[in-house]
Amino acid sequence: MTAPASADAQQGAVLSPDDVRTLTEEVWSTFLGHTAPFTAAEARAFTPTWAASVTVKGEWNGMVSMQLTGVGAHRLTCGMLGMDPESDEPSEADVVDAVGELVNMVGGNVKSLVPGPSQLSLPLVATGQFAHGSDQQEIVRLDFAWGDEPVSLTVHSGSPAVSKVNR
Amino acid sequence: MHALVIDDSRSMRMILARILRGAGFEITEAGHGQEALDHLTGGLRPDLCLIDWNMPVMNGYEFVTEVRKVREWRDITLMMVTTESEHSRIVAALAAGAHEYVIKPFTADAILDKLELLGLTHDGAIA
Repeated sequence: MTAPASADAQQGAVLSPDDVRTLTEEVWSTFLGHTAPFTAAEARAFTPTWAASVTVKGEWNGMVSMQLTGVGAHRLTCGMLGMDPESDEPSEADVVDAVGELVNMVGGNVKSLVPGPSQLSLPLVATGQFAHGSDQQEIVRLDFAWGDEPVSLTVHSGSPAVSKVNR
Repeated sequence: MHALVIDDSRSMRMILARILRGAGFEITEAGHGQEALDHLTGGLRPDLCLIDWNMPVMNGYEFVTEVRKVREWRDITLMMVTTESEHSRIVAALAAGAHEYVIKPFTADAILDKLELLGLTHDGAIA
Protein backbone atom coordinates (compact mmCIF):
# COMPACT_ATOMS: atom_id res chain seq x y z
CA MET A 1 0.00 0.00 0.00
CA THR A 2 1.31 3.44 -0.84
CA ALA A 3 0.71 6.70 0.96
CA PRO A 4 -2.00 9.07 -0.20
CA ALA A 5 -0.86 11.31 -3.04
CA SER A 6 -1.96 14.40 -1.13
CA ALA A 7 -3.01 13.48 2.36
CA ASP A 8 -3.53 17.08 3.34
CA ALA A 9 -6.04 17.69 0.60
CA GLN A 10 -9.27 18.82 2.17
CA GLN A 11 -11.30 15.93 0.87
CA GLY A 12 -8.57 13.38 1.28
CA ALA A 13 -8.05 14.03 4.96
CA VAL A 14 -11.26 12.18 5.83
CA LEU A 15 -9.96 8.81 4.71
CA SER A 16 -6.91 6.90 5.78
CA PRO A 17 -5.29 4.03 3.88
CA ASP A 18 -5.78 1.84 6.94
CA ASP A 19 -9.51 2.52 6.92
CA VAL A 20 -9.78 1.51 3.29
CA ARG A 21 -7.62 -1.54 3.80
CA THR A 22 -9.70 -2.71 6.77
CA LEU A 23 -13.01 -2.40 4.99
CA THR A 24 -11.67 -3.95 1.79
CA GLU A 25 -10.34 -6.92 3.73
CA GLU A 26 -13.73 -7.28 5.40
CA VAL A 27 -15.54 -7.35 2.07
CA TRP A 28 -13.02 -9.79 0.61
CA SER A 29 -12.96 -12.14 3.58
CA THR A 30 -16.75 -12.15 3.93
CA PHE A 31 -17.46 -13.12 0.36
CA LEU A 32 -14.23 -14.64 -0.92
CA GLY A 33 -12.22 -15.56 2.13
CA HIS A 34 -12.37 -19.28 1.55
CA THR A 35 -11.13 -19.17 -2.02
CA ALA A 36 -7.69 -17.56 -1.71
CA PRO A 37 -5.70 -15.47 0.75
CA PHE A 38 -5.81 -11.69 0.67
CA THR A 39 -2.33 -10.36 1.18
CA ALA A 40 -0.73 -6.95 1.14
CA ALA A 41 1.65 -6.54 -1.77
CA GLU A 42 4.02 -3.99 -3.13
CA ALA A 43 2.58 -2.12 -6.05
CA ARG A 44 3.57 -3.84 -9.25
CA ALA A 45 2.71 -2.92 -12.75
CA PHE A 46 0.08 -5.01 -14.42
CA THR A 47 -2.23 -4.53 -17.31
CA PRO A 48 -5.76 -4.63 -15.95
CA THR A 49 -8.33 -6.59 -17.88
CA TRP A 50 -11.29 -5.43 -15.82
CA ALA A 51 -12.03 -2.18 -14.05
CA ALA A 52 -14.98 -1.21 -11.92
CA SER A 53 -15.94 1.94 -10.10
CA VAL A 54 -18.63 3.62 -8.08
CA THR A 55 -18.91 7.32 -7.45
CA VAL A 56 -19.99 9.24 -4.38
CA LYS A 57 -21.73 12.58 -4.88
CA GLY A 58 -22.79 14.94 -2.14
CA GLU A 59 -21.04 16.53 0.79
CA TRP A 60 -17.99 14.54 -0.30
CA ASN A 61 -17.32 13.77 -3.94
CA GLY A 62 -15.11 11.02 -5.15
CA MET A 63 -14.72 7.69 -6.80
CA VAL A 64 -13.70 4.21 -5.67
CA SER A 65 -12.25 2.06 -8.41
CA MET A 66 -10.81 -1.40 -8.64
CA GLN A 67 -8.68 -2.92 -11.37
CA LEU A 68 -7.79 -6.55 -11.75
CA THR A 69 -6.53 -9.16 -14.17
CA GLY A 70 -8.68 -11.49 -16.22
CA VAL A 71 -7.64 -14.45 -14.06
CA GLY A 72 -8.41 -12.49 -10.91
CA ALA A 73 -11.84 -11.51 -12.22
CA HIS A 74 -12.53 -15.13 -13.18
CA ARG A 75 -11.65 -16.41 -9.72
CA LEU A 76 -13.54 -13.61 -8.02
CA THR A 77 -16.66 -14.35 -10.05
CA CYS A 78 -16.45 -18.06 -9.33
CA GLY A 79 -16.05 -17.30 -5.63
CA MET A 80 -19.07 -15.01 -5.57
CA LEU A 81 -21.28 -17.36 -7.56
CA GLY A 82 -20.19 -20.60 -5.91
CA MET A 83 -18.64 -21.90 -9.13
CA ASP A 84 -15.57 -24.11 -9.51
CA PRO A 85 -12.76 -21.93 -10.93
CA GLU A 86 -11.04 -25.00 -12.37
CA SER A 87 -13.97 -26.26 -14.40
CA ASP A 88 -16.60 -23.56 -14.63
CA GLU A 89 -16.51 -20.68 -17.07
CA PRO A 90 -18.52 -17.69 -15.90
CA SER A 91 -20.07 -15.54 -18.59
CA GLU A 92 -19.01 -11.96 -19.19
CA ALA A 93 -22.31 -10.86 -17.61
CA ASP A 94 -21.41 -12.89 -14.51
CA VAL A 95 -18.02 -11.17 -14.29
CA VAL A 96 -19.56 -7.73 -14.70
CA ASP A 97 -22.08 -8.50 -11.98
CA ALA A 98 -19.63 -9.96 -9.47
CA VAL A 99 -16.89 -7.36 -9.95
CA GLY A 100 -19.48 -4.60 -9.84
CA GLU A 101 -21.01 -5.88 -6.61
CA LEU A 102 -17.63 -6.08 -4.89
CA VAL A 103 -16.70 -2.51 -5.79
CA ASN A 104 -20.20 -1.47 -4.76
CA MET A 105 -19.67 -2.92 -1.29
CA VAL A 106 -16.25 -1.32 -0.93
CA GLY A 107 -17.61 1.99 -2.22
CA GLY A 108 -20.60 1.87 0.10
CA ASN A 109 -18.32 1.37 3.06
CA VAL A 110 -16.02 4.18 1.92
CA LYS A 111 -19.11 6.38 1.72
CA SER A 112 -19.83 5.60 5.36
CA LEU A 113 -16.43 7.04 6.31
CA VAL A 114 -16.71 10.38 4.52
CA PRO A 115 -18.93 13.36 5.32
CA GLY A 116 -22.52 12.95 4.23
CA PRO A 117 -25.17 13.08 3.09
CA SER A 118 -24.21 11.69 -0.27
CA GLN A 119 -25.38 9.39 -3.00
CA LEU A 120 -23.65 6.22 -4.17
CA SER A 121 -23.89 5.47 -7.88
CA LEU A 122 -24.60 2.12 -9.40
CA PRO A 123 -21.33 0.36 -10.30
CA LEU A 124 -19.74 0.86 -13.68
CA VAL A 125 -17.73 -2.10 -14.97
CA ALA A 126 -15.62 -2.16 -18.11
CA THR A 127 -12.83 -4.01 -19.78
CA GLY A 128 -9.56 -2.12 -19.74
CA GLN A 129 -8.92 0.61 -17.25
CA PHE A 130 -10.43 3.88 -16.15
CA ALA A 131 -8.98 7.27 -16.89
CA HIS A 132 -9.54 9.73 -14.10
CA GLY A 133 -10.42 13.37 -14.49
CA SER A 134 -7.59 15.86 -14.17
CA ASP A 135 -9.38 17.49 -11.24
CA GLN A 136 -9.41 14.26 -9.30
CA GLN A 137 -6.76 13.44 -6.75
CA GLU A 138 -5.75 9.96 -5.72
CA ILE A 139 -6.03 9.94 -1.94
CA VAL A 140 -5.70 6.23 -1.21
CA ARG A 141 -4.16 3.44 -3.23
CA LEU A 142 -4.30 -0.14 -2.03
CA ASP A 143 -2.32 -2.79 -3.85
CA PHE A 144 -2.79 -6.37 -2.82
CA ALA A 145 -2.55 -9.86 -4.10
CA TRP A 146 -5.46 -12.23 -4.02
CA GLY A 147 -3.99 -15.63 -4.55
CA ASP A 148 -1.26 -14.74 -7.02
CA GLU A 149 -3.31 -12.14 -8.83
CA PRO A 150 -2.69 -8.43 -8.34
CA VAL A 151 -5.60 -6.15 -7.49
CA SER A 152 -5.43 -2.38 -7.32
CA LEU A 153 -7.99 -0.35 -5.44
CA THR A 154 -7.94 3.43 -5.47
CA VAL A 155 -10.00 6.22 -3.97
CA HIS A 156 -10.02 9.54 -5.77
CA SER A 157 -11.54 12.71 -4.42
CA GLY A 158 -12.94 15.50 -6.52
CA SER A 159 -15.38 15.52 -9.40
CA PRO A 160 -16.71 12.01 -9.94
CA ALA A 161 -16.68 12.42 -13.71
CA VAL A 162 -14.84 9.50 -15.26
CA SER A 163 -13.81 8.53 -18.73
CA LYS A 164 -14.04 4.89 -19.60
CA VAL A 165 -11.32 3.46 -21.78
CA ASN A 166 -12.10 0.20 -23.50
CA ARG A 167 -9.38 -1.84 -25.11
CA MET B 1 -41.96 -19.83 4.13
CA HIS B 2 -41.29 -17.75 1.07
CA ALA B 3 -38.78 -14.94 0.56
CA LEU B 4 -38.53 -12.37 -2.21
CA VAL B 5 -34.89 -11.36 -2.73
CA ILE B 6 -34.58 -7.96 -4.42
CA ASP B 7 -31.13 -6.89 -5.61
CA ASP B 8 -29.81 -5.75 -8.98
CA SER B 9 -26.77 -7.97 -8.52
CA ARG B 10 -27.38 -11.57 -9.55
CA SER B 11 -24.41 -12.72 -7.49
CA MET B 12 -25.82 -11.05 -4.39
CA ARG B 13 -29.25 -12.59 -5.02
CA MET B 14 -27.58 -15.99 -5.29
CA ILE B 15 -25.67 -15.52 -2.04
CA LEU B 16 -28.78 -14.43 -0.16
CA ALA B 17 -30.89 -17.18 -1.72
CA ARG B 18 -28.32 -19.79 -0.66
CA ILE B 19 -28.52 -18.58 2.95
CA LEU B 20 -32.32 -18.47 2.96
CA ARG B 21 -32.75 -21.87 1.32
CA GLY B 22 -30.61 -23.28 4.10
CA ALA B 23 -33.13 -21.83 6.53
CA GLY B 24 -36.00 -23.49 4.73
CA PHE B 25 -37.26 -20.67 2.53
CA GLU B 26 -38.54 -20.90 -1.00
CA ILE B 27 -37.09 -18.07 -3.06
CA THR B 28 -38.31 -15.67 -5.71
CA GLU B 29 -35.84 -13.14 -7.13
CA ALA B 30 -36.29 -9.62 -8.50
CA GLY B 31 -33.69 -7.32 -10.04
CA HIS B 32 -35.27 -4.06 -8.87
CA GLY B 33 -38.15 -2.70 -6.86
CA GLN B 34 -40.61 -2.48 -9.73
CA GLU B 35 -40.06 -6.11 -10.67
CA ALA B 36 -40.67 -7.03 -7.04
CA LEU B 37 -43.85 -4.95 -6.94
CA ASP B 38 -45.00 -6.74 -10.10
CA HIS B 39 -44.59 -10.06 -8.28
CA LEU B 40 -46.72 -8.78 -5.40
CA THR B 41 -49.45 -7.36 -7.62
CA GLY B 42 -49.39 -10.67 -9.47
CA GLY B 43 -50.36 -12.45 -6.28
CA LEU B 44 -47.08 -13.50 -4.69
CA ARG B 45 -47.33 -13.26 -0.89
CA PRO B 46 -43.85 -13.72 0.56
CA ASP B 47 -43.29 -13.84 4.29
CA LEU B 48 -40.09 -11.85 3.85
CA CYS B 49 -38.50 -9.41 1.40
CA LEU B 50 -34.74 -8.78 1.45
CA ILE B 51 -34.21 -5.43 -0.24
CA ASP B 52 -31.15 -3.68 -1.63
CA TRP B 53 -31.23 0.12 -1.60
CA ASN B 54 -29.42 1.20 -4.77
CA MET B 55 -31.09 -0.38 -7.77
CA PRO B 56 -32.15 0.82 -11.21
CA VAL B 57 -35.81 1.50 -12.09
CA MET B 58 -37.05 1.53 -8.48
CA ASN B 59 -34.79 1.64 -5.46
CA GLY B 60 -35.33 -0.19 -2.21
CA TYR B 61 -36.62 2.78 -0.26
CA GLU B 62 -39.24 3.46 -2.90
CA PHE B 63 -40.22 -0.21 -2.85
CA VAL B 64 -40.70 -0.19 0.93
CA THR B 65 -42.80 2.96 0.66
CA GLU B 66 -45.00 1.44 -2.03
CA VAL B 67 -45.47 -1.82 -0.15
CA ARG B 68 -46.55 -0.04 3.00
CA LYS B 69 -49.31 1.79 1.11
CA VAL B 70 -51.15 -1.49 0.53
CA ARG B 71 -53.16 -2.88 3.43
CA GLU B 72 -53.06 -6.49 2.23
CA TRP B 73 -49.26 -6.45 2.22
CA ARG B 74 -48.83 -5.29 5.82
CA ASP B 75 -47.91 -8.76 7.03
CA ILE B 76 -44.85 -8.94 4.80
CA THR B 77 -41.62 -8.54 6.74
CA LEU B 78 -39.24 -6.12 5.04
CA MET B 79 -35.49 -6.27 5.64
CA MET B 80 -33.05 -3.91 3.95
CA VAL B 81 -29.75 -5.54 2.93
CA THR B 82 -27.58 -2.80 1.51
CA THR B 83 -24.28 -0.94 1.45
CA GLU B 84 -26.12 2.25 2.44
CA SER B 85 -24.97 2.87 5.99
CA GLU B 86 -25.71 6.56 6.55
CA HIS B 87 -27.66 6.96 9.75
CA SER B 88 -30.25 9.14 8.04
CA ARG B 89 -30.88 6.42 5.43
CA ILE B 90 -31.31 3.75 8.08
CA VAL B 91 -33.76 5.94 9.99
CA ALA B 92 -35.66 6.75 6.79
CA ALA B 93 -35.99 3.10 5.79
CA LEU B 94 -37.21 2.05 9.22
CA ALA B 95 -39.63 4.98 9.34
CA ALA B 96 -40.96 3.98 5.92
CA GLY B 97 -41.78 0.54 7.22
CA ALA B 98 -38.72 -1.69 7.03
CA HIS B 99 -38.40 -4.01 10.04
CA GLU B 100 -34.67 -4.62 9.96
CA TYR B 101 -31.53 -3.23 8.34
CA VAL B 102 -28.41 -5.23 7.46
CA ILE B 103 -25.33 -3.54 6.02
CA LYS B 104 -23.19 -5.28 3.40
CA PRO B 105 -20.88 -7.05 3.74
CA PHE B 106 -22.79 -9.44 5.97
CA THR B 107 -22.23 -12.95 7.18
CA ALA B 108 -24.76 -15.73 6.89
CA ASP B 109 -25.04 -15.72 10.66
CA ALA B 110 -25.95 -12.02 10.64
CA ILE B 111 -28.85 -12.71 8.28
CA LEU B 112 -29.97 -15.77 10.24
CA ASP B 113 -29.79 -13.89 13.54
CA LYS B 114 -32.08 -11.21 12.13
CA LEU B 115 -34.53 -13.83 10.91
CA GLU B 116 -34.59 -15.36 14.35
CA LEU B 117 -35.25 -11.97 15.92
CA LEU B 118 -38.12 -11.49 13.49
CA GLY B 119 -39.56 -14.90 14.30
CA LEU B 120 -39.03 -16.12 10.77
CA THR B 121 -37.27 -19.37 11.54
CA HIS B 122 -38.64 -22.67 12.58
CA ASP B 123 -37.05 -25.34 14.76
CA GLY B 124 -34.28 -27.18 13.02
CA ALA B 125 -34.18 -24.86 10.04
CA ILE B 126 -31.01 -23.14 11.10
CA ALA B 127 -27.94 -25.14 11.95
